[in-house]
Amino acid sequence: MSARVSLGIDPEELASCVACGLCLPHCPTFRVTGEEWASPRGRISAMRQVQDQGAAIDQAFLSSMDTCVQCRGCEPACPSGVPFGSMMEATQAELTRRRRLDWRRWGFRVLGHRRLLNLLSRLLGVVQRLRLLPSKRLGLPKIPLAQERLRATGSDVWLFTGCVMDAWQRSTHAAVKRVVEAAGAGVALPGAGAACCGALSLHAGLEDHARSLAIRTMRELEGSAPILVDSAGCGAVLKEYGKHLGTPEAVAFSERVLDVHEWLSDRSDRLPSAGERGQDLIVAVHDPCHLRHVQRAHQPVAEVLSHYATVVALDDDGLCCGAGGAYAAMQPDLAVSIRERKLEAIGRSGANIVASANPGCTIHLANAGVAVRHPLEIVDEVLDHDG
Amino acid sequence: MRFRRTTKADPLVDDLRRVLPADRVRAASLERSIMGRDASIFEGGQAGPVCFPISTEEVQGCVDAARRHGRAVVPRGAGTGLAGGSVPLDEPVVVVTTKMNRLLSVDVDQRLAWVQPGMINLDLSRAIAPHGLHFAPDPSSQQVCSLGGNVGTNAGGPHCLAHGVTSAHVQAAEVVLMSGEAVVLGDPDGWAPGLDLRGAYVGSEGMMGITTAIAVRLTPNPPAVQTLLLAFDSVDAAAHTVSAVIADGIVPAAIEMMDKNIIWAVENFVGAGFPTDAAAVVIVEVDGLPGGVTAEADRVAELAEERGGRVRRAADDQERALIWKGRKSAFGAIAQIKPNYYLHDTVVPRTRLAEVMNQVYEIVEEHDLQVMNVFHAGDGNLHPLLLYDRREPGVMERVHAAGSAIIEASLAVGGVLSGEHGIGIEKRDFMPLMFSEADLDAQGRLRRAFDPDEMANPGKVLPTGASCADVNALTKVPEGVWG
Amino acid sequence: MIGDKAGAALESFAAEVGSDDAVAVVGGRTHWEVGGSCPEETRLVRAPTGVRGFDPADMTIRVGAATPVTELDAALAEVGQRVNLPVLPGATVGGVLAVGRDDVHALGRGRLRDALLEAVYVADDGGLVTAGGPTVKNVSGFDLCRLLVGSLGTLGLLGEVILRTWPRPATQQWLAGSCDPAELRRRLFWPSSILWNGQSVWVHLEGHESDVEAEAELAQSLGCEPTDGPPPLPDYRVPTGVLEADESSGSYVIQIGTGLAYAAAPCPIPDPDPTVVALHRRLKAEFDPRGRLNPGRDPLAAS
Ligand SMILES: Cc1cc2nc3c(=O)[nH]c(=O)nc-3n(C[C@H](O)[C@H](O)[C@H](O)COP(=O)(O)OP(=O)(O)OC[C@H]3O[C@@H](n4cnc5c(N)ncnc54)[C@H](O)[C@@H]3O)c2cc1C
Ligand code: SF4
Ligand code: SF4
Repeated sequence: MSARVSLGIDPEELASCVACGLCLPHCPTFRVTGEEWASPRGRISAMRQVQDQGAAIDQAFLSSMDTCVQCRGCEPACPSGVPFGSMMEATQAELTRRRRLDWRRWGFRVLGHRRLLNLLSRLLGVVQRLRLLPSKRLGLPKIPLAQERLRATGSDVWLFTGCVMDAWQRSTHAAVKRVVEAAGAGVALPGAGAACCGALSLHAGLEDHARSLAIRTMRELEGSAPILVDSAGCGAVLKEYGKHLGTPEAVAFSERVLDVHEWLSDRSDRLPSAGERGQDLIVAVHDPCHLRHVQRAHQPVAEVLSHYATVVALDDDGLCCGAGGAYAAMQPDLAVSIRERKLEAIGRSGANIVASANPGCTIHLANAGVAVRHPLEIVDEVLDHDG
Repeated sequence: MRFRRTTKADPLVDDLRRVLPADRVRAASLERSIMGRDASIFEGGQAGPVCFPISTEEVQGCVDAARRHGRAVVPRGAGTGLAGGSVPLDEPVVVVTTKMNRLLSVDVDQRLAWVQPGMINLDLSRAIAPHGLHFAPDPSSQQVCSLGGNVGTNAGGPHCLAHGVTSAHVQAAEVVLMSGEAVVLGDPDGWAPGLDLRGAYVGSEGMMGITTAIAVRLTPNPPAVQTLLLAFDSVDAAAHTVSAVIADGIVPAAIEMMDKNIIWAVENFVGAGFPTDAAAVVIVEVDGLPGGVTAEADRVAELAEERGGRVRRAADDQERALIWKGRKSAFGAIAQIKPNYYLHDTVVPRTRLAEVMNQVYEIVEEHDLQVMNVFHAGDGNLHPLLLYDRREPGVMERVHAAGSAIIEASLAVGGVLSGEHGIGIEKRDFMPLMFSEADLDAQGRLRRAFDPDEMANPGKVLPTGASCADVNALTKVPEGVWG
Repeated sequence: MIGDKAGAALESFAAEVGSDDAVAVVGGRTHWEVGGSCPEETRLVRAPTGVRGFDPADMTIRVGAATPVTELDAALAEVGQRVNLPVLPGATVGGVLAVGRDDVHALGRGRLRDALLEAVYVADDGGLVTAGGPTVKNVSGFDLCRLLVGSLGTLGLLGEVILRTWPRPATQQWLAGSCDPAELRRRLFWPSSILWNGQSVWVHLEGHESDVEAEAELAQSLGCEPTDGPPPLPDYRVPTGVLEADESSGSYVIQIGTGLAYAAAPCPIPDPDPTVVALHRRLKAEFDPRGRLNPGRDPLAAS
């Protein structure tokens, strides 16, 4: 047998799971497969087999790890406080070191280069229009060929714009910016240095790349103004810079990060009222995992929205929709099965539109034909018509 | 580097794959090894091929294949059992029911539902909630555990005091015997001539066959509910109040007790508003029609006050939910203190609660451990939670020694080995403390009538002396199982 | 603990049963012929009798199996308790458990089979065996108690049992009328019995005074009036499913929600599943291979 492999997981963390199973129903891949290897408890057990018992890293191990959406729905469900996300990140980092030829190693590098990304995106948009791409299968949205330019309006708050979202869904940023401004704040925009938060790289195990993106981002978003984020996935990572980098600056930086809805819900009295508008809107709020399970800040979305529309809750305990960053592209079959459950819950809710505060979820759900918008796009429209 | 598949060539697997699609028979060593344990503290079980059937016919096919190869079969639900019931010994075929999770039918007028065994307990109650009905047994693991597992262990829960544990809510079960035959035990309407095979089967911990469908009784939601939080300055006063409530002829829906240590932990964890200066709290819930509920709640309050208790009544649903949240967060709270726990489960006559609890504290102190008590006091079902860190050298010996002493203390006052978790591997070797050889022999006979060759989940419940000698080799608990 | 088991009375009961010839245990002979009758020459034995331990505060009671149910009921009534067994004059506790027939209150009070917590019985070899345990909740090993209830003494002869007791309700009331039984069941929260003969319905309420009063008012609004008690029940017990299919059964009374009906004429009950029959045979072979316990009686033939 080959030499024992350490996955680099903190032994304390690895020992913390007592195998109670209380996380199982909160795991999307377990919910759709019913199989232990696709559950948090099974994945932890597999990590232990490898790291503690010297089992080989084989196909079965890989598929157990790679099918994880990294939604972290298992974390709040765990009574023992098992830090699953960080264990999975460590495992993915080790696996990536072993998979030297993986395309992700190179692919995600693009994300840090705003110009290159924009260029490639436009190219992709053209290819898409020529119908040369199976967009649905790859989980791609309709990529715009030209984007409006965002302009800073002050320095009360930063609006973090990120990579893919900025390239593909800039109109969302524009709507968010208008709502924030309507609440009375001047918005500052980061330069090209803060091109990517590093989330996708981190989940793919590209720790070093993620770290360098973090350092660039922090440098760009200087000062003490709150950093507002309209993508749950980015917000989650920005809030964890402190933990990942472990420096006092990173800790201070993370403390400034707020999901934009958190910031707005403290100021909803300052938002213009919608009057009669939006009354026939029944909005189902889809809680992105990185908002609900990681940031644990999903309540403000419904709260902000409830000023402008009728909000209904989904009855699936916030189970993941299967989008998970690049997951929908990497594990299309599971991603679709997981989405199926979400669609059923949406159907039961009676809503005519779904709000999702994460671009990945929006794209994934829209690909299934769901009417889905960013929550603040919905608010912006109601406000716009009023103003 | 390239990643290899680690699967042994195995004719049994080939045979199973003639019955189930290949991807529903998992045989890679990792896929088998992660099935080596359930929620109990036993590690190191050895699973053979792991099958995920979706129908009764497929389960029959798995059983037939296993029989042809002379391999035992272990049924497994969600794997939340605390006695090691679904821990596979000696590479048996593991039949997992999680993919058999459908609600087959609901008859609202008859208050009856047919479910597949892998359906999650809470999913059933949620599905029937629109009809004003629920499934009464509510184990603390209800959001995870399967109804097939509940039948397997005859599971209980806080709300089983007045309405009984799982057995009282199962009208019939379709079972695949080790011969491969499928048979319905009991009758969904509620009455079948002959022996109560249904009753004999419920609680058989997977040792008589595999449940493939269950007809469950549904319970109407009560029109009125009152929840009281009683705080006491001593465990004795709390325990005596529990006895006094029962003695007064009141059968509340639930009576749960928590001692000082767990109150503290819970308050730090979720802040449910429990009085941290109390030595123990008792949660009493009475439900039913409004007249009886009010009268009983008043009487409970009176009995508590007579024993020095402070009474808080939940004013509304929100406060009621908060009290239950405190109770139900107990497990999470524990992890804040020590990473590992061993949850015990014995029952004592309700008049002996105070006495046995005091003994538990002494035992734990003698073995230099920490304990928390949070349990179903109304039916005398103790759950002392021993806290430890398994990385501490020598701690497991102390944990096991304290556990044995608690079991002995419970039996000494006329108690029993297990109230709801079952015997499994955990208490198998304690069975002779409660039962004579003849008693155990009788249980073995019941088991053999269902499973003459002892191929269903061998090595559990009955100490090996009581069953055929030739299974001894098979049922020996392998090294390392006592994790 | 509620008294010690295996006292001298049990020992001598076991000795009397012995280990050789055919024996039948005789109770009150109220159900002597259910499931067939013993051959004339069968030796008769009697189980110990009397309350052997009672802790009212624990709500469990230990009694000899030959104790008359009326005696048990009277003892419990003194402390405001009861057991969920039919109180048939002349019948013994062991007898009603061995026959296993619910009374008309099974809908609300639960099934008779759940009343038994522990049983000490004499096995075919004359030895004493304990099944179950003395506490109200117990999953220690396989559930032999459920198997013994309704076994007509063919697997073992009950010597002594521990039963769960319940509070006696403050008040009770029968009503009868001609409304829809399904409607009654839906509207009333927890009636202890609903009986229906195709035209009339009888409903039994019990519990706290004000609740029974309110529920009775509700039943009255649905067309029921107070009455003295249930109707006389026809002789033949049949599963409701069979009754619905068989029109020749004549007059009948259905016990709503329990799967049981009483018919005036016998109606053919479908043969049990062969696997169920085989399980019965194997159980008998395991527990009484020589067929010496209550010969001639067969639980499957008992309806
Ligand atoms: C945090 C926590 C709290 C708990 N609280 C309670 C509680 O309040 N009350 C309580 O009673 N228990 C409790 N338990 C224990 C456990 O949840 C129950 O025993 C539950 O019934 C097990 O269900 P499962 O689906 O996980 O079954 P498993 O653990 O998979 O199996 C349990 C047993 O049933 C058998 N089995 C499973 N499925 C079948 C089938 N289809 N056919 C035949 N045999 C089968 C298995 O072989 C095994 O012997 C708790 C456990 C945890 C971890
Ligand atoms: S992160 Fe999500 S997908 Fe991964 S194990 Fe946890 S719950 Fe399951
Ligand atoms: S809930 Fe936590 S402790 Fe329990 S199995 Fe899941 S990860 Fe492990």
